[in-house]
Amino acid sequence: MVSAFFVWSLRRKMTRRAVPLAMAMSLLSVAGCRQHKNHKEATGPVSGGTLVYATDREPVCLDPHVHGDMPQVFVAEQFLDSLVAMDKGGKILPWLATDWTVSEDGRAWTFHLRRDVAFTDGTAFNAAAVRANLDHIANPHTLSSTAGGYIKQYVKTDVIDDYTAVVHLDRPYAAFLEVLAQGFLGMESPVALLRPRDENCQSPVGSGPFRVVHWDRQNEIVLERNPAYRWGPPTARHTGAAWLDRIVWRIIPEASVRFASLQAGEVDVIDSLPPEAETPAQHNPDLWLLKADLPGNPTNGTLNLRREPFGDIRVREAFVRSADIPGALSSVFFGHYRRAGGPLSPSTPFYSPETEHHGDYDPDRARLLLDEAGWTARTADGIRVRNGVPLQVHIPMRSSLSASIRTLWEQVQATARATGFDVILENADDTTVNDRESRWDYDVRVGYWNTNTADVLRIVFSSAFLGPPGPQGGIHQNAAGYSDPGFDRIINAALLTTDPEERQKLYTQAQEIVAAAFLQITTYPQSTRMALSGAVHDVRIEPSLNVTSLYDAWIAR
Amino acid sequence: MIPFFLRVAHAFLAKALNAFTVLFAAATLCFVVLQLTPGDPVLAILGGGSVNATPETLAVARHEYGLDRPLPVQYGLYLTRLAQGQFGNSFSQHMPVVDVLRSQAPPTLELMAAAFIVAWLFALLSTVPTVRRRWFGPVASSLETISAGLPPFWLGLLLLWAFSFEFGLFPPAGTRGVLSIVLPALALGIPLGGFLAQVTRESFDLALDEPCVLTARARGMDERAVRLRHVLRHALLPGVDLSAWGIGALVGNAVAIEMIFSRKGIGRELFLAVSGHDMPLVAGIILFIAAIYIIAGFLADLLRRLIDPRLKALHS
Repeated sequence: MVSAFFVWSLRRKMTRRAVPLAMAMSLLSVAGCRQHKNHKEATGPVSGGTLVYATDREPVCLDPHVHGDMPQVFVAEQFLDSLVAMDKGGKILPWLATDWTVSEDGRAWTFHLRRDVAFTDGTAFNAAAVRANLDHIANPHTLSSTAGGYIKQYVKTDVIDDYTAVVHLDRPYAAFLEVLAQGFLGMESPVALLRPRDENCQSPVGSGPFRVVHWDRQNEIVLERNPAYRWGPPTARHTGAAWLDRIVWRIIPEASVRFASLQAGEVDVIDSLPPEAETPAQHNPDLWLLKADLPGNPTNGTLNLRREPFGDIRVREAFVRSADIPGALSSVFFGHYRRAGGPLSPSTPFYSPETEHHGDYDPDRARLLLDEAGWTARTADGIRVRNGVPLQVHIPMRSSLSASIRTLWEQVQATARATGFDVILENADDTTVNDRESRWDYDVRVGYWNTNTADVLRIVFSSAFLGPPGPQGGIHQNAAGYSDPGFDRIINAALLTTDPEERQKLYTQAQEIVAAAFLQITTYPQSTRMALSGAVHDVRIEPSLNVTSLYDAWIAR
Repeated sequence: MIPFFLRVAHAFLAKALNAFTVLFAAATLCFVVLQLTPGDPVLAILGGGSVNATPETLAVARHEYGLDRPLPVQYGLYLTRLAQGQFGNSFSQHMPVVDVLRSQAPPTLELMAAAFIVAWLFALLSTVPTVRRRWFGPVASSLETISAGLPPFWLGLLLLWAFSFEFGLFPPAGTRGVLSIVLPALALGIPLGGFLAQVTRESFDLALDEPCVLTARARGMDERAVRLRHVLRHALLPGVDLSAWGIGALVGNAVAIEMIFSRKGIGRELFLAVSGHDMPLVAGIILFIAAIYIIAGFLADLLRRLIDPRLKALHS
């Protein structure tokens, strides 16, 4: 750390003195770019080296308990371990917890813990640490919007002995292990957690393969190897300490600049590879790609049932069927993104393929449905009209949406127009859009929900997530305003049983119900997409939330 | 006769009052504008409308950041704290605003300084040798007009594409090393240089007709010495005045340039703070920028006095 910081500050000093020099040098310069060396056919993992990883968004806080946005969990995966792991098939495996049992009533979970784990500040990992972490996540002062929301059922943890903890919930919660496998609920040093929240944000302490040593805001996060590490997840390819000495986690918001940095050899790995760079990346012999679809509710537009025109299921179905999503995916995303047609991404446990084609593009049926629903008249430019009201669909577009998803919705706008929908895309900054969404002031809400459990259906569609009643509504996750007691019963029942077959049956029913109600235009699964230098090997995608893991990664230069 | 020290004190007080008014207005405008923009800062803090936060968490956040108090109280507290030099904690960055400024301001100031040097080099190299020269004059003049009309973000994209993506001469992104500042400094500096050159060219042209030039030539001074020693001094003044405005323009344009080149700095930070409704951070950055404006104006004043001895005579 010391040496890295020294070099860094030295360079900065040079910057101050040498501005005119830089101009002179610019005429001669070809220096400064480290080219990707042709990777030697490496025989096996090599220890050492620094991997430079570039991503689009900077975490707001390195402690993933606080808030809980995707950039946080990507970094957290490198320095935090979880109680349990999840494999590609959705099976829960032991990690920091060696085994567990659940009580008859489903409310008390007993965890037996590994005895050889220590946090990088020297604190031992034990039952008291588990209690400190779950208490920290559930504490409103932590301001946790993701992890805290996932364990709303949490009551308290009893420390039975050093390595046995009993977690009490206020109701049965079959998805508990799945959410525990997510990096958002990673285990942090209880001693470090005693510090004020904002201090812990800067330098959280975990037990993972790397530890955070430096965070230069808007620029980079530096992590170094934890030499004592020997409790890697069962999903990993090796045991013992990580191969890399150091990770430099750089923030490069512009997608094209990020890709250019990779091509120039400035960075070794980039994520959020833009669709337009995917073909050039495939054709570049010095690069390779690593992709995985994220589980959860795929990227979608959710239709607001609380106002016209989408109060009528026929109009909803017509809208869903008038949008040519496969066409848009092939033109905007160059065919690199697969379709996700159902309410769950295919990589989600208990996904049902039955719903994949429930809302396929069918403009003829869409026209028929609009006729049936009474939208028979048309304006001069082809927009449907009923009782003098044109068929308008207002979609607030937040400024943080990517260029590709904007273009995707422009394609939806164009194809839906052919059926007679006047789709109005309204650009605004994020806070304005949040405000409109909290007031139910939209016909379609563009969003997604990444999580590794089918219980996401409960968050996105059950009436428990409608938010406070009244016109000022406020925060709500059920963006459709959908409320169906039959669906609520099934989705809540799925949490009461830990029997996989029973859960599969209930989640399949739940998917069928929401698909038949035409609540969303689903487009494509959210995905982790990386492009990597040929010198980099064994970067892995941790299946619990499909985020990058650099624990197994090594570099041959 | 007013004693000298009183005159100085008076001038100083007037300046200080002026600066104070500017800062107060900036702080108030900042508060008003952020209040007028729709949206709930708590939702921005917790990450948008799709967050799964419990109602207790929302209430705690509202209380922690003082957002549960009536607006006039919030405004009063805000001004009182600013007056005491307390900028508070950034909602979105989870750190004191002062620390954010301390880490983000130096790269922006470096970038501005580099751009400012580029601008003046461009202005001087383009004007001094070419004014009233048959071919070079009109060519340089058109070049200046074009440069002045270039939007920095567009120029930045062009430079990035050509020198970084295509020729690979410069790193495409980052705040590391000398090379990474070259393209952003050119993108910011060339348009400002165009403006500076335009006014300098005009005043240079006028100054060439000054009697002192005739005298100097009559003394047998060669053309280069005439231009550098006598004419330039006359010609610099409008450019110096314009520089105070130019520094302000640099801060504004730095927002886009820092985004394009993925540089760290207060420009990019300001963009994030505004979109995140991060009141304390927006206020901190705006006041910092206002202070730069004030200091730049003051320095331009001072420099003008140094260059133009007539101003000194006028005041003493």
